[in-house]
Amino acid sequence: MIRREIALEVNGRSVHASVEPRQSLADYLRDGLDLTATHLGCEHGVCGACTLLLDGEPVRGCITLAVAAEGRRVDTLEAFDEDPLMNLLRQAFSEHHGLQCGFCTPGMLLMARDIILSDRVASDAELRVALSGNICRCTGYAGILRAISAAREAWQARPHAATGPA
Amino acid sequence: MGGEGSGFGIGDAVRRKEDRRHLFGRGQFTADLRIPRLQEVAFLRSPIAHGRIRAIHVPEGLRDRVVLAGDLRGARSIRAVTDAPGFNAADFPLLASDKVLFVGQPVAMCLAPSRAEAEDIAQAIDLEIDELPAVVDMEAAVRPDAPLLHEGWGRNVFLTREFEAGDLERARAEAAVTIERTYRLNRQAGVSMEGRAILAHWDDRLDELVVWNSTQMPHQVRYALALHLDLDEHRIRVVAPDVGGGFGLKNIVYPEEIAVAALAAQVRQPLRWIEDRREHFLASIHCRETLYNVTAFATAEGRLLGVDVTVQVDAGAYATWPNGPNMELGMAIKNVPGPYRLEAYRARGWTAATNKAPIGPYRGVARPGACFCIERTIDEIARAVGREPHEVRMENMVRPDQMPYRSLTNMLYDNGDYAESVRIAADLVDVASVRARQAQGEADGRLIGVGFAAYTEQTAHGCGEWITRGVPIIPGYESCTARLMSDGSLQLLVGIQSHGQGLETTLAQVAHHELGVPFERISVRHGDSALSPFGMGTFASRSMVMAGGAVARASRMLAARIRPIAAQLLQCTPDAITLRDGAAHGPQGSVDFAEIGRVAYVRQEGLPRDAAPTLDVTATYSPEIDTGVFCYSTHAAVVAVDPGTGTVEILDYAVVEDCGTIVNPMIVDGQIVGGVAQGIGNALYEEIPYDTSGQPLATTLADYLLPGAPAIPGIKIAHMCTPAEHTEYGMKGMGEGGAISPPAAIANALRDALADTGAELCETPMTPRRVLAAILAAESRIHAREAAE
Ligand code: FES
Ligand code: FES
Repeated sequence: MIRREIALEVNGRSVHASVEPRQSLADYLRDGLDLTATHLGCEHGVCGACTLLLDGEPVRGCITLAVAAEGRRVDTLEAFDEDPLMNLLRQAFSEHHGLQCGFCTPGMLLMARDIILSDRVASDAELRVALSGNICRCTGYAGILRAISAAREAWQARPHAATGPA
Repeated sequence: MGGEGSGFGIGDAVRRKEDRRHLFGRGQFTADLRIPRLQEVAFLRSPIAHGRIRAIHVPEGLRDRVVLAGDLRGARSIRAVTDAPGFNAADFPLLASDKVLFVGQPVAMCLAPSRAEAEDIAQAIDLEIDELPAVVDMEAAVRPDAPLLHEGWGRNVFLTREFEAGDLERARAEAAVTIERTYRLNRQAGVSMEGRAILAHWDDRLDELVVWNSTQMPHQVRYALALHLDLDEHRIRVVAPDVGGGFGLKNIVYPEEIAVAALAAQVRQPLRWIEDRREHFLASIHCRETLYNVTAFATAEGRLLGVDVTVQVDAGAYATWPNGPNMELGMAIKNVPGPYRLEAYRARGWTAATNKAPIGPYRGVARPGACFCIERTIDEIARAVGREPHEVRMENMVRPDQMPYRSLTNMLYDNGDYAESVRIAADLVDVASVRARQAQGEADGRLIGVGFAAYTEQTAHGCGEWITRGVPIIPGYESCTARLMSDGSLQLLVGIQSHGQGLETTLAQVAHHELGVPFERISVRHGDSALSPFGMGTFASRSMVMAGGAVARASRMLAARIRPIAAQLLQCTPDAITLRDGAAHGPQGSVDFAEIGRVAYVRQEGLPRDAAPTLDVTATYSPEIDTGVFCYSTHAAVVAVDPGTGTVEILDYAVVEDCGTIVNPMIVDGQIVGGVAQGIGNALYEEIPYDTSGQPLATTLADYLLPGAPAIPGIKIAHMCTPAEHTEYGMKGMGEGGAISPPAAIANALRDALADTGAELCETPMTPRRVLAAILAAESRIHAREAAE
């Protein structure tokens, strides 16, 4: 079995690993590093349960190879325990019933945070489209959409909103 | 009551206890568990729909990594035997060794340290199968010349049913209007976002098999494992950790699960199988595939006189455990009359066996089809007599003054005002303004229409009802152990399982309501056969009523134990004690639950002379009637359809429903919207077609479409509340209902939108291709008529 050595940064720590070239980033994080917040719902790039950040951009961990993360920064939901925007989202998801079984939730949260930070949606319809790569089978999306809108409002209304990133 | 006015009692939109772990990514699904020496399992599956295995060649050097049927010891094939008369049983082998009957049927288990390596082994095995002709179509399956799936069966039929009540011939003779239609619901899957999953290992210290299983019913799984393995039930523990959705498809014990558990016990090696999405589409249960041929009779005013229906169900190849495929047909026949007064009804049907994946329960079970059948037909009657469909609906419904009403199919509708739900739904979507907009026409050339569909849903039914269904396991009760701890906090140990329904929260609300223990000091433990008394699990819209009832009863038993202790401490009589705010209050003072708990557990000298130490009680609960309590609802949809492309957009959607007393309105609304979203998937997107050789054509999320956020509109919800008379607090079950009406409501809205063309949608899902085909068919009918004139 061929293996490749990789070095990357995961949730703020530098990591060296030896992986099979075919191993997905999601499998490496889950099995190699025990970071199980990254869920696998389809393993073929459709459902978004495996959403994580690669150099700050949301990608699908199931169709990103671990070797492709060489020299790059990976962040999973585990990195956001103290993140102020993520905490607003957590509160909003709970208040607006944005989760039922919780399986899609980590992917939803990472995507929602990116949508709010990038300030790329202006309407409910745009928010729906921005979220269309993340499938939830339980909620019918109503609670998720309400939660993201509420968190976005709270984020924009925070003191010193204009003065910098999260 | 102890919890009134606290904001955490019955009727309060309490935020869920279960949210926190998931929001921090610390949920514990089966794939997240870590255990030493674990080997992952991959299944080699049949690529052929119907055939005889000639040989299985395992490469040299891999033989000890591969397990074939003959290698499993002390494990029996699944035999789901029901009491339904004339039921043909078919053993479902854990691993096929002789014949294979559907694409995806498990043949061998491959073991390796990772899933990828286990899959490599499966790929290296050479499976030789002599192909036999596949039986793919349910109508062809029952013809005398069809190849037989199961030797010893005369025909490919699991069971047949017939039912007749009232005078259908008279209805036929009196009818001014006769409607004949064929409706088809196509095959789909349940698609929980977490697939099936099992981890099994032998615990040497306890000398028992421990099974972690993504299931809706851990106690039933334990029972099933004892039934299928040579193991006493006391040596089996089944735990459902976090479960990523179930919707019925995890209310089954599958061959893969028994095989993994059997092998883990046999080789004393921790094993895990995590289903991938393709396996889910191949070999988790499928659902919905039903064909209705209906003839309905009505008066010139649209009064329904009689219905004659033939129902055909395509059950796939095998009977799954516990219920096999028999519920679908029986429930279809029972539910076609729906919320309507009907004086004559005849139903016949059969359940065919085909070379496809077995069917099983999925949210709504049979009722989306039954609702489609009657609700499309009511619309056709209304059109034939030239009236508004929602008005014809209201006039035909069972009236409040007729309640309790025994339907022709012997269901006892307990209470409610069905017609009022239609009226409110019509208001919510504003039928008058839809009509005005239709008269004006749309600027973009699309056509808009409004459609309705109502249902009444039997929930929380007890022992007697389940016996009539012929099922082997009778889930007529639930259980709870309530334990007030020595510090005054409370544990509820329940036999149900919660996989999104929020029962960790709502059951705590019930106990808080009864006892006044602060909500945050109550924990609900569920899903572990070693922890709680036996319970049936979460399915059939039952857990809030059944487990909620058990919690209420256990809480009251606990209160009856707490009062004398408090009375002793407060020097008053037990009936002078009230429980509230975490304390017992007497006329002269109060004592908090921590002190009562301390006395009951560790300072028993403070107990009354005849009081036993500890505060730990167990209750079971069954509703006072067996026939269930009926939650009912009307859905109204407004759609726009593009007659050039056949694409459908839902412009407005309203749900009016009555589930009796609501424990947590936030969770109830979440269940409704989630159900409607699945119903919209059923109506417009989801389908697993098979080709003529029995190959499934949708086995990834790229070819099986699930509704995403843009496909689900904002849903308007209005509640009516008629408390049930025979359950605790007046609760009715409601978990499945949202999924029942959308196919019918949307089909009726399309019928309305396309009224000028005469096109009808009689088949789900209503894909653009099918919508266009319906329009073309209607146009060619019109042309043929014009040519003939
Ligand atoms: S698991 Fe990666 S997109 Fe579904
Ligand atoms: S909460 Fe279950 S899949 Fe989204």
